[in-house]
Amino acid sequence: MIANLLIGLREGLEAALVVGILVAYLVKLQRRDVLPRLWLGIGFAVTLSLGLGALLTFGSYGLSFEAQELIGGSLSIAATALVTWMIFWMLRTARTLGSSLRHDVDSHLDGAGWGLVLVAFLAVGREGIETALFIWAAVQATGETTLPLLGASIGIILAVALGWLIYRGVVRINLGKFFAWTGFFLIIVAAGVLAYGVHDLQESGVLPGLHSLAFDVSGAIPPDSWYGTLLKGTVNFSPATTWLQAIVWCAYTIPVLFIFIRVIRRQHPITNAPADTEKLATTASQGA
Amino acid sequence: MPTPFTARYAGISATVFLAALALSGCVPKSTTVAGTGAATLGVDSSASACTVSAATARSGSLTFAVKNSGNQATEFYLLAADGKRVVGEVEDIGPGLTRNLVVDVSPGQYFTVCKPGLTGDGIGRTAFTVTE
Repeated sequence: MIANLLIGLREGLEAALVVGILVAYLVKLQRRDVLPRLWLGIGFAVTLSLGLGALLTFGSYGLSFEAQELIGGSLSIAATALVTWMIFWMLRTARTLGSSLRHDVDSHLDGAGWGLVLVAFLAVGREGIETALFIWAAVQATGETTLPLLGASIGIILAVALGWLIYRGVVRINLGKFFAWTGFFLIIVAAGVLAYGVHDLQESGVLPGLHSLAFDVSGAIPPDSWYGTLLKGTVNFSPATTWLQAIVWCAYTIPVLFIFIRVIRRQHPITNAPADTEKLATTASQGA
Repeated sequence: MPTPFTARYAGISATVFLAALALSGCVPKSTTVAGTGAATLGVDSSASACTVSAATARSGSLTFAVKNSGNQATEFYLLAADGKRVVGEVEDIGPGLTRNLVVDVSPGQYFTVCKPGLTGDGIGRTAFTVTE
């Protein structure tokens, strides 16, 4: 049961964390009116994944290995691009928040709101089919034993609970720090998703170098241990990482973090920081 | 920053792309399609063995129904003749689960291998032949 629980937790964790941050973000911006759209996007991703998964499990057609890897790989790369856009868009929005340019935020969000819905959709749907196939396999096994389904369900519920805890945690921190911390975390998550996508494409043979490992720490961090699961589920850390994955991870993380830190420094100069954050925090708490 | 229009275009083109991929990637699972040699093989992955119900199959769409009878999560791989290139793989087979690997194979020599615990080179590496 524990093994199935850990698989469920890993599959659900990253999506739950990203959604938790998205919800906290909209609450911080006092744009709870966008939340229904967000839930709709998530609901659509869940329904679509479970539906396709059921069709492939119980129908007479299966999804070929190559297609599954291609879908997983390309969706992962698309998700990285969208999350990166979102991080910088968040920062831009943060700059105008609480100022007289408030209506700019609102008009921006009307267009970008759908962008955020797409981010939520991809965060959940990226590995949705894979997760759905796992869940339906657990359902199929219920004829013999219900333990796998029980484990998988508890794992996914745990992931959602952790996402909710992250939401509760980050929604409390003040606005200046909020964008810095969530942005930093999302960049690391996005880098992991990108590396994961590269690995999928390596497995499907689209990209080379599947067997050239940069490092293999599977001995110290077994992928089926609880800490291996958490590392994989949050930042997509793979104990056996290929050179191409490592290079792509660095090629994304280093420049993006560099630009991110520069933008933050420009927005929150050390001298103005206390007054600035206080003003923003007041605005946020008034609306909360 | 993308405008709503670019976001929408991105969404539409992504959907079309995925739909096309899903359609082209859908392959028959059983022997219902005459002449293609589509067949289902059983695989039992335990803590110490990786048993495939047959050592040969005809080319075309093959389904490996991999049952995990061990107590760790496992993976099943179909490797090319060099023993390295992954022809097909199914991950996240929790204990007690049966999951399918559907893969289109051409005639040749392959290897089957299971990976309980998800690490290392795997166990029960066995030659697998695909005929015309």
